[in-house]
Amino acid sequence: MRLELVDIEKSFGEKRVLKGISLTAEGGRAFGLLGRNGAGKTTTLRILMGVISSDAGKVLFDGRPEGLSSERFGYLPEERGLYPKKKIFDQLVYFATLKGMRTREAEKAVDYWLGRLGMSEYKNKRLDTLSKGNQQKIQLITALAHDPEIVILDEPFSGLDPVNARLLKDVVRQTIARGKIVLFSSHQMNYIEEFCDEIAILNGGKIVLSGGLDAIKRSYPRNRLAVRSLEGERIAADFGPACERISENELLLTLPDPGKKAETMKMLSEKYDIDGVSVSEPSLNDIFVQYAGGQE
Amino acid sequence: MKAFRKILKFELKNYLTNKVYLVLTVLLVLLIAVVMFFPRIAGAFKGGEENPTDWENLPVMLLVGEENWEETTRPMLVDSFAAAFPEYRIVPLADLEKAKETLLAGEAECAVALESPESYTYYVNNLSLYDSNIEFVDAVLSQLTRVSAMITAGMTPEEAEEALVGRVVTGNTVSLGKNQAENFFYTYIMIFALYMVIILYGQMVATGVATEKSSRAMELLITSAGTNSLMFGKVIAACLAGLIQIVAVFGSALLFYRLNLSAWGDNFLVQSIFAMPVNLFLYMLVFFVLGFFIYAFLYGAVGSMASRLEDINTSSTPITMLFIIGFFVVVFSMTSGDTESLLLKVCSFIPFTSPMAMFTRIAMSTVPWVEIALSILILLASVIGVGVVSAKIYRVGVLLYGTPPKLGKMLRAVLRTK
Repeated sequence: MRLELVDIEKSFGEKRVLKGISLTAEGGRAFGLLGRNGAGKTTTLRILMGVISSDAGKVLFDGRPEGLSSERFGYLPEERGLYPKKKIFDQLVYFATLKGMRTREAEKAVDYWLGRLGMSEYKNKRLDTLSKGNQQKIQLITALAHDPEIVILDEPFSGLDPVNARLLKDVVRQTIARGKIVLFSSHQMNYIEEFCDEIAILNGGKIVLSGGLDAIKRSYPRNRLAVRSLEGERIAADFGPACERISENELLLTLPDPGKKAETMKMLSEKYDIDGVSVSEPSLNDIFVQYAGGQE
Repeated sequence: MKAFRKILKFELKNYLTNKVYLVLTVLLVLLIAVVMFFPRIAGAFKGGEENPTDWENLPVMLLVGEENWEETTRPMLVDSFAAAFPEYRIVPLADLEKAKETLLAGEAECAVALESPESYTYYVNNLSLYDSNIEFVDAVLSQLTRVSAMITAGMTPEEAEEALVGRVVTGNTVSLGKNQAENFFYTYIMIFALYMVIILYGQMVATGVATEKSSRAMELLITSAGTNSLMFGKVIAACLAGLIQIVAVFGSALLFYRLNLSAWGDNFLVQSIFAMPVNLFLYMLVFFVLGFFIYAFLYGAVGSMASRLEDINTSSTPITMLFIIGFFVVVFSMTSGDTESLLLKVCSFIPFTSPMAMFTRIAMSTVPWVEIALSILILLASVIGVGVVSAKIYRVGVLLYGTPPKLGKMLRAVLRTK
């Protein structure tokens, strides 16, 4: 299963919102779409789902350009909201049937998911009687009940307590394991790092960075060592400006030549009392700030 | 198409299970039942037979100053009044002051004080807006003066009475077109029903769309179904809910009338309402459906532009005003009796006013079929046109949040969408 966006262009009036977006997401993997507010994430997702049309470019599913019918994807919008005054079960079944399910199938699926997320007791309650976190779990069911091939989750973890966040993580892992495409859009980099194999960073309507997360991290020069030691002060004094003190016992050494890593590590462990030393990789947070920081 | 059916079903179910809708429908049906069963219920309380004691309970009309009347017809006074006012008990009284006291004490309802054969004064405790007694008193007394004159001229009282009352010329009116007196009431009821249902359900469409937007359920809806399905599903569901209510109310009225046919007897007003021809009811359905659509589409578009429910009131005002103006033109033309005025004729071809205006003309005068066909055709074309434009506004509107866009800006945005 393969979803591709090819050279998507979109303008609203005079404003060019998307300037040639291309990305590829594969089944059984999670894809992270990152970008600051207003970078064009929601517009990209809406074009992908066929809510608005693009000015140029195409959306391909398994190489075919027929467009994505609504049964094939599930969507958890960032702006949550269902019918506040309606019974939870009724509206979940309604949304599932809108996504192409038969009523009986939909009822079964909704029952399964209510049970899976521990919400069965609220089945016949009105939505507005639930807490925000529980409403979010109900909303998640609208994205999953019809068993779509592509699951689009926009800020799925915001507003969830740690217990519910773990529940959602399990659901996401299971979905990925079943070979679905999971498309994340989030500002919470730790979750993206945890799940996504591939990312794309949007800035000013363009993709400024994309690819496998490991490869991206590896593309950075591996010339920094993270050192933990009780002799932080002495090391800092010896290394001078090449050493950055993160905390009292944690230091970051930048080497002039990445090839000298092993040599330096050996030297450190001989010369000082070292608790640990490793090659420092940039965090996704660092990468995001670097690429999405300056709005174009 | 599948999504459209699902939405239609869901929305219609929302209406039919809505408490306000159910209570309103049941209340209307009950109200009609009470009205239609009234003669029977009232008859049951009366016991059906005229009771001699009833006469004692009739309100009293005092007749003061008989001695001031011409001698020749003085003996006929009480009988003539009794004949002219069967709803009163006529009590002769000599003293005017005592009569006034009786009136003020509430023991009598009115008094006629004769001052001379040419003049009298009518006394009443509180003059009602609808008190027409004085016209009848005029008629009775004038008649008696004529009888006096005839007796003075040599006729016997019997001959005089025969000359005045016994010879009656009766005439019939045959209206070759429509009889406005007969169809006024049902036309009025229909127009009023049309007005209420369109405004009520139009507003409901707008509120429904705006609620989905403000609760953000729209985010999910637009990714699940096309905007056309969403809009048309909602509008058609509202139309069906309105139709069901109309059929329930008018159907129960007809049923209850049939059940009480004998009790209503020869009540002209009620008979005229239920004498509505079937083809007129069909016209009513056609104009209701088309008129409903044209306004519901507009209300739907307005609802889609609002981000909050409060925005609807201001942005739907122009539509409501347009509709109310149409309603007033129609009602004024109806009450003035001039249903072929130029204004009404023009209105009967303008799509936003034609549902009510053309219906009124069809009901109350004779309209050539070409004009009816033309009006319906214009209306139908406009419904399609307004539907297409509204669906475009809806498509753009549902994705916009924040302050509602100005109409011009909105239309430019709509024109840009393909």
